[in-house]
Amino acid sequence: MNTKITRREAGALVGAALTGAFVPGAARAQGRQIVIGGLYPLSGANAQIGVDAKHAYDTALDVINNKHDLDLPLAKTEGLPNLGGAKLAMTFADHQSDPQKGRAEAERLITQDKVVALIGTYQSAVANTASVSAERYSVPFLGADTSSPTLNKRGLKFFFRAAPHDEFFTQTMFDFFDEMKKKGKPVESIALFYEDTIFGADSTTVQRKLAKEKGIKIVADIKYRSNSPSLTAEVQQLKAANAQVLMPSSYTTDAILLMKTMAELGYKPPAIVAQDAGFSEQTLFNAIGAAGEGVMTRSTFSLDLGQKKPSVGKVNELFKARSGKDLNDLTARQFTAAMVMADAINRSKTGEPQAIRDALAATELPGDQTIMPWRRVKFDDTGQNNDCTPVLLQRRGDKYVTVFPAEYAVADVAWS
Amino acid sequence: MASAFETRRRNQLIIAAAVVAVMIALPLGVKDVYVQNILVLTVMYAALSQAWNILSGYCGQISLGHALYFGIGAYASTLLFVKFGIIPWFGMAAGGIFAAAIALLVGWPCFRLGGHYFTIATIVLAEIGLILFLNWSYAGEASGLQIPVSGDSWLTFTFLRSKLPYYYFALGLAAVVWLVTYFIEDSKWGYYWRAVRENTMAAQSLGVQVFRSKMAAAALSAFFTAIGGSFYAQFVSYIDPDSVMVFQFSLLMALPAVIGGIGTLWGPPLGAAILIPFTELTRSYMGGGGKGTDLIFYGAVIMIIALARPEGLLSLVTRTRHAPP
Amino acid sequence: MANAATIAQILMSGLLMGLIYALIAAGLSLIFGLMDVVNFAHGEFLMTAMYATFGLVVLLSLDPLVLSPIVAAIMFVVGAFCYRVIIVHAMRARTNVGMVQVFATFGLAIVIRGLAQFVFTPDYRSIPKSWLGGQTFSIFGVYMPAPQLAGALASLLAFGALWLLMKRTDFGKALEATREDAGAVGLVGIDRNRVFAMGWGLGAALVGLAGAILSIFYYIHPDVGGPFALIAYVTVALGGFGSVFGALAAGVIVGIVEAISATVLQPSMKAIGIYAVYLLVVFLRPRGLFGH
Repeated sequence: MNTKITRREAGALVGAALTGAFVPGAARAQGRQIVIGGLYPLSGANAQIGVDAKHAYDTALDVINNKHDLDLPLAKTEGLPNLGGAKLAMTFADHQSDPQKGRAEAERLITQDKVVALIGTYQSAVANTASVSAERYSVPFLGADTSSPTLNKRGLKFFFRAAPHDEFFTQTMFDFFDEMKKKGKPVESIALFYEDTIFGADSTTVQRKLAKEKGIKIVADIKYRSNSPSLTAEVQQLKAANAQVLMPSSYTTDAILLMKTMAELGYKPPAIVAQDAGFSEQTLFNAIGAAGEGVMTRSTFSLDLGQKKPSVGKVNELFKARSGKDLNDLTARQFTAAMVMADAINRSKTGEPQAIRDALAATELPGDQTIMPWRRVKFDDTGQNNDCTPVLLQRRGDKYVTVFPAEYAVADVAWS
Repeated sequence: MASAFETRRRNQLIIAAAVVAVMIALPLGVKDVYVQNILVLTVMYAALSQAWNILSGYCGQISLGHALYFGIGAYASTLLFVKFGIIPWFGMAAGGIFAAAIALLVGWPCFRLGGHYFTIATIVLAEIGLILFLNWSYAGEASGLQIPVSGDSWLTFTFLRSKLPYYYFALGLAAVVWLVTYFIEDSKWGYYWRAVRENTMAAQSLGVQVFRSKMAAAALSAFFTAIGGSFYAQFVSYIDPDSVMVFQFSLLMALPAVIGGIGTLWGPPLGAAILIPFTELTRSYMGGGGKGTDLIFYGAVIMIIALARPEGLLSLVTRTRHAPP
Repeated sequence: MANAATIAQILMSGLLMGLIYALIAAGLSLIFGLMDVVNFAHGEFLMTAMYATFGLVVLLSLDPLVLSPIVAAIMFVVGAFCYRVIIVHAMRARTNVGMVQVFATFGLAIVIRGLAQFVFTPDYRSIPKSWLGGQTFSIFGVYMPAPQLAGALASLLAFGALWLLMKRTDFGKALEATREDAGAVGLVGIDRNRVFAMGWGLGAALVGLAGAILSIFYYIHPDVGGPFALIAYVTVALGGFGSVFGALAAGVIVGIVEAISATVLQPSMKAIGIYAVYLLVVFLRPRGLFGH
């Protein structure tokens, strides 16, 4: 044990020598502090996601560690009451969107920083390798914002996901189409437009399947190279197909380019129902202005939930104070993941990884104690929460409003 | 005359044996799994960069597309394992041979190209490979392939927690590539390659079979790069095109040789020993902030080494930079 | 589906994008032709120019079009500075010059990316309002977006100006002479370092112009240069290293081939069309279309 500490400190010393200063939060689990590891892309093309995620987690830590008048677990107390008021901390590692680096960082956080649990990772490919390592070290892994349906089907005992995966998301879109059919506005044709990544593949696999089941015609099925310099030819094909609903699965960069190119080529589909990602980012709407009006996206979160849950608005203010942005689908999921994890750590009483895993498996968090439109958080045998129905949002003016399902809707959908 | 040269050759071998002995013993003192991971990557890049060095250092054909062979190796062994249950040891050999065949196939037209035209062609070919794998549904497209790991086994070359088996394999690979390079340096091919590198025209007029020399170097280089790719697939036990075939890999394979000393026996291992721990540590201990400071630092160091020591860091320790005449 | 209007649209889109590719590649080609250096930080120069435009738009509330000469001027300074501080040392290398240049500029690229992330954060930026943004012309159902049209026009003008500069001015003659024989020009009183620095400045200014116009219709973030840089390398090589006007022709070819192959192949594989054309051309003409 002694030698291990020396080595860890040796590692830290090397780090300190390199940085010239300690990275704050490279915390060692000493005294009354429980440390969770956060795995995010903090440099490279997706760095923005990681930086925003840090703000979301810092907000959650603030809520947990300090007294707040919020109807959320652990908000009204300081720290974790069952662990003698121990404070929760997070230490972050940069996986640069690379599965190998993600795994190495997971192992470093587990063995050097002695984190009791891991949260991450945005990219499903990284979650894939990092969660396997967590399993091998018997440390719980909570996927906050990874949406590949395959992740929870690998028989892992330490993998959990509180948020929906792509099958839920797509199901909701098609439920919405059913609803429109009942109202006499059936959807007859859709166009799929998706990037050549795991996200694009998983998203459209389900879309294709459901469209077939419901007899909806797929008039364009366009897979494109992500971060292409131009999407002109792709948009021309979409325009030629002239589907009733365009269903894009794109991240921010391509979403901006797609929407701008569509405007430039005079193409406006009757409806756009997006698979989140880029379409949940304010950046996109800053870039395209009025062209965003009426765009729909699936989401796990919407700011207007605040009308029913006061905690949403308050958490958003806390988050905004840190990041200068409103909570969105991703940051809300990240915040919620931290709350779910903190709740489990508190119930574990010991703060040991195995106990936290068991506590996570026994989680039963009512939906009204989250900022999400979920019934509850309760994990099935595969570690997936199945009571986390997504919502559909529609762009009105400078914000999104919830339009589906009815129990969370604050406005009627504009649908021609 | 020959004796001085032979002594130097023998000394090289002795140094190599000593280095390998130290590297074998190293994990006895390093129990930290994170540091072990860095060690695995370091010896892997020493091997990969040495393989790159054969074609680009000795024979002077600068390739920035070796990710193609790396990816072919990774996918060959994984596909054979996942789809047909063929153990990765055979898959590794198959991947190596297949990559060598591809290298010959593309080498045939590409070796007519000179300088930057050749380099751009290698980049472009690797990009084509990347795009093809991203669109090949049998190989999982972007979702990639998962190698099932049931437990520790040398037969399937999969280990749950331990990094040491991977470390020793990578070390063995690095040693083999080093040895092959060592023997070639003093062989007919070694002389041919250096002649081609220094002056293709003159080499031709002296009767060196330029085209065949390039082809031989390319095949050997691709073979070992693909073995490295198979190894990496087993090591990570998950591959997708974006993590084994991207352009960045091609640069990472070239970088240690350039930093250490291109076209030298010791350049790639030296470069890898400095560069890889440096890369990993800057990311781990500086990258958590999300401010890009790790990139600034990393880039600056590469730039400074490239500018301050154009012949590579090896020239700091030895004056006999060039291989025997 | 492929009626006349669709085909015309594909060709027009390809042509406009191609001219923009050519403009991006022009600076790379100029620098290469002058001193045989491949600048691996070219994409990052483009990114810097886009951030410079963004910063100036926020600061001065002027239109990117108005700012484009200023951005070009800023990039001229950046380019000349990079030459004086970094490249000049890379040129001094006595051994494996090519690799030293590649990795010195590669290191530079990473530094610039890190700096951009440090200064501007990794948020995706864009210029929400501009004269041309979102404007589009339509003739017989063929759409020509105003920003791309402006980019194409700027590209043609820049190549025209470059031609005049090379053929009609003393500086152009010095440039040409230095390109022919960098050693001998010293004898006739040309300071070759100065010419090289001017060349780098000019190359960066060209990509600055491209960046300013690109920022009207493109997103801006630290990694934005990558995809453009790869296309620029292929464009320069396709046109033939050292031939600036080869880059113009090659850019147009790349743009049109890209548009066509996105239609003929799967869109996700459209880059293969560009790469195949490059390989085909250099296998037939090992020095590109117009290489010396």
